[in-house]
Amino acid sequence: MTLSRRGFLNVAAIGAAGTFAADMTRFDMLRHSAWADEAKKQGKRVILLWLAGGASQLETFDPKPGRPTGGPYRAIPTSATGVHISELLPKMAARIQQTTAIVRSLNTKNADHGGGATIMETGRIKDPGIEYPDLGAVCAKELGRLDSAVPDYVSMYTSTEGRRKGGSGFLGSRYAPMFLSESMQPENIRRLESISDLDHQDRLALRELLAKKFTQNRNSDSLGSHTQAYQRVRGLMASEKLFDIEQEPAEMRAKYGPTQFGQQCLIARRLVEAGVPFVKVARAWWDSHGENFETHRELCADLDHSMSALLDDLKDRGLLEHTLVLTFGEFGRTPGINASLGRDHFAAAWSATLSGCGVRGGACFGKTDEDGHKVADGEVGAGDLFATILSALGIDPLKEYHVGARPVPLSDFGSKPIKDVLI
Amino acid sequence: MRWILRIHLAALWLLSTVISASGAELPSADLPIEQVIDQFTQQRLDAEKVSAAPQAGEANLLRRLMLDVAGRIPTSAEATAYVANPSAAKRVELVDRLLASPDFVWHQRNELDRMLLPNKPNDGDFRKYLLWAVKENRSWEAMFRDMLIGDEADENRKPATTFIKSRARDLDDMLNDTAILFFGVNVTCAKCHDHPLTPEWKQHHYFGMASFFSRTYVTKKNLLAERPFGEVKFKSKRKDDTKGEQTAKFEFLTGAIIDEPVVERSADDMKKIEETIKAAMQKDDAPPPEKPSFSPREKLVEIALRSEDNRFFARNIINRVWDRFFGRGLVHPVDQLHAANAPSHPELLDWLTRDLVAHGYDLKRLIRGIVLSQAYSRSSEWTAGSQPPDPALFAVAKVKPLTPRQYAVSLLIARQSPDQWPALDKPEEWIARREQLENGSNGYASFFEMPGENFQVAVDEALLFSNSKRIEDELLRDSKTEIVGYLKSLPDNAAVIEAAFQTICSRPPRDDERAAIDGYLQSHSTDRVAAIRQFVWALLTGPEMRFSY
Repeated sequence: MTLSRRGFLNVAAIGAAGTFAADMTRFDMLRHSAWADEAKKQGKRVILLWLAGGASQLETFDPKPGRPTGGPYRAIPTSATGVHISELLPKMAARIQQTTAIVRSLNTKNADHGGGATIMETGRIKDPGIEYPDLGAVCAKELGRLDSAVPDYVSMYTSTEGRRKGGSGFLGSRYAPMFLSESMQPENIRRLESISDLDHQDRLALRELLAKKFTQNRNSDSLGSHTQAYQRVRGLMASEKLFDIEQEPAEMRAKYGPTQFGQQCLIARRLVEAGVPFVKVARAWWDSHGENFETHRELCADLDHSMSALLDDLKDRGLLEHTLVLTFGEFGRTPGINASLGRDHFAAAWSATLSGCGVRGGACFGKTDEDGHKVADGEVGAGDLFATILSALGIDPLKEYHVGARPVPLSDFGSKPIKDVLI
Repeated sequence: MRWILRIHLAALWLLSTVISASGAELPSADLPIEQVIDQFTQQRLDAEKVSAAPQAGEANLLRRLMLDVAGRIPTSAEATAYVANPSAAKRVELVDRLLASPDFVWHQRNELDRMLLPNKPNDGDFRKYLLWAVKENRSWEAMFRDMLIGDEADENRKPATTFIKSRARDLDDMLNDTAILFFGVNVTCAKCHDHPLTPEWKQHHYFGMASFFSRTYVTKKNLLAERPFGEVKFKSKRKDDTKGEQTAKFEFLTGAIIDEPVVERSADDMKKIEETIKAAMQKDDAPPPEKPSFSPREKLVEIALRSEDNRFFARNIINRVWDRFFGRGLVHPVDQLHAANAPSHPELLDWLTRDLVAHGYDLKRLIRGIVLSQAYSRSSEWTAGSQPPDPALFAVAKVKPLTPRQYAVSLLIARQSPDQWPALDKPEEWIARREQLENGSNGYASFFEMPGENFQVAVDEALLFSNSKRIEDELLRDSKTEIVGYLKSLPDNAAVIEAAFQTICSRPPRDDERAAIDGYLQSHSTDRVAAIRQFVWALLTGPEMRFSY
């Protein structure tokens, strides 16, 4: 029975519409030989560890020990000569020289959660006339394959605070993130039990067969995207396992630890290993208006452990030189400590890190003043950071998209990559 | 460089109303709109030596008209009746019937809503206002006044000011969205003259427009108000600048300037006024602020509508309505209505502008003319040769993705058994059913993306249709009232295939489709219901259902 059913579809499909693959999960690399010359770029991946709510630069990568703004924690030396970071990040301290560059001189000017997040997601300030794509969508477009069998932008955020989906703006929903908000599994990725796997495949094939004549003489990119979206269904369903950390050996899961953030970092590694170009893992909630030091002791421990486990694992698998791991959020926190022992929103002088792909490990760019109130040296904006990220990935930040007739460079007008942190 | 806004040139070009761009006189104002559309589109096709695609078939045209004018696919009975109708005037009759139907009111409301408040979908009061205005066939000019000036005392018109109120926190949003949506001009690029590609751009145009909105605020009680004074200052960032800080004038896009009457106020008076405003913005029980004698927003409306400066306003809405029905504006993109971006059919736009103004900005009249034209009813298939022609020729109909609302309502129609609808001779029964469809479609509508330029279907949508329980439960149920249940009650495969195509695609199946589906159903005869379900799913998820064509 099974054979004859499948047999029908193959015959019908070939008869009516020429070549046709009923099994969408198969992916034929040879068909994409035109992409071969870009293979180097094609292999590049990004994992963004988004520190939602705004992590304190003073308790992470730009400590001010002994200063009135410094707080109770010490600074410790790192594997990079002369570079000190907070004692809350001992594991990362041991890995700075090998993997990570620090940028300490970000001035992004907007210390409002919404506005700051928009700037750090898109690398530019909001512009009422145009919806800019976020970094994930740009990377999905620049690094992904059009008919990819895996998702090309996955955004994980299972915490309840300040949930932000991000978006693909004018690049269109083809590059919108697959967003995990409720569980560690994407929605609608698993077949319902009420339909057999064979029927599920058959009806997709039937759909394609009926659609073929319609699409044949009609010229429309939107129409093409509809076909593609359905063609990707089976492949994406097959990627369900990528989200299942039970597939990993127990000792590997132990390395990443029991926290949700750690587990999501492990999923992120599984995803980039399978070819997903951009994964965002958001860790909340750093918005420590009160009890800043308690909050950071807890969150930094999670960040330190999960990020080092991720970097080690990527390195062991030979993936780190192709994978760029980033940390930043919407802004940093005030050097001044308020009456509730908190630090407030602060965008004038804060830090981000870049690790792995294209990055000069141990580089520490820019300086803030003694107490961290202002950038003292090497001030850069979000656009410069984005230009740096794109350059590290081998993408030309000056490349332009066209929105209507309007040119939009990948990183904001006038921005420049920070050469000192690039290889 | 083409996208740079050159106001001075724009003003010259926009003055040409009766005499067309080429200097020739425009055709008579008494001609039917559709005839003028066809005359000018044909002229350009002839000039470019392109033969247009043939007219779409009747079933195809009915489906397009229903989606475009009524916001939904036809029912199976409507589709059958239209094709069977021998009347030579049936297209005109259909269009007039649809334009007078509740379907049009809902759909026109939804279309205006997504245009005017794209970031604030489903604002209840604003949607209520739009519904009222469409029902009244309120003129676009009056709606413009309702939205920009507003009347807090009129129950029907009051919610229109949500257009401004929802943007009042941000001056850029107010001025940009007004310029884009009502005048077809995107002035964003002018705010920053440091823009590397627009060195010659004059900032005062941008800040001139800003000055019309800079005094606008919303009180704590959510009333729209304006300050009696306040200026917009701006400064050039150019190194060679000698002017220093400048005060923006009330300057419209055409360069026309409004002078504000000078009012002498003592410092004490100013302080008092400031305090009243502060109170109104902060306190619930503060008295409503006094309306100032000079209202910049009122002046903006006045200047935009007066004949010598009016061409942005009328042209913009014509272009946007055209864009909606043809999938591309006469001026493309629709927010680049300026001299450096000429219309594809300048004389036609001139003629339509004169017609719209002469007929009191009646959008229904414009829509009627557009959908009765031959240009509108061409086939969307291009089989004539290798490359499809320049889209600006409108030689072939564009495939248009459905809006979330069109798709949702259409799915709800397609999933029903065809015998569940009111009889065609009982249109009064349809009124309540249509409202149910509208309300019942909210859930599905929220799943889909609003199409914009270069729209792409998200893979999430395909996954939703493929694997969600809701789709399985609601669209593929086999109870008697649903399409799957109806089809399974039919005696043989041939009847199933006919009915499914007629209900979901509004047309009979082609022979190759009959043969393929018959083969599929036969090979799956052990579980006929499941097979019918897969077949229905394949039609519901197909491009014919997802797009208007």
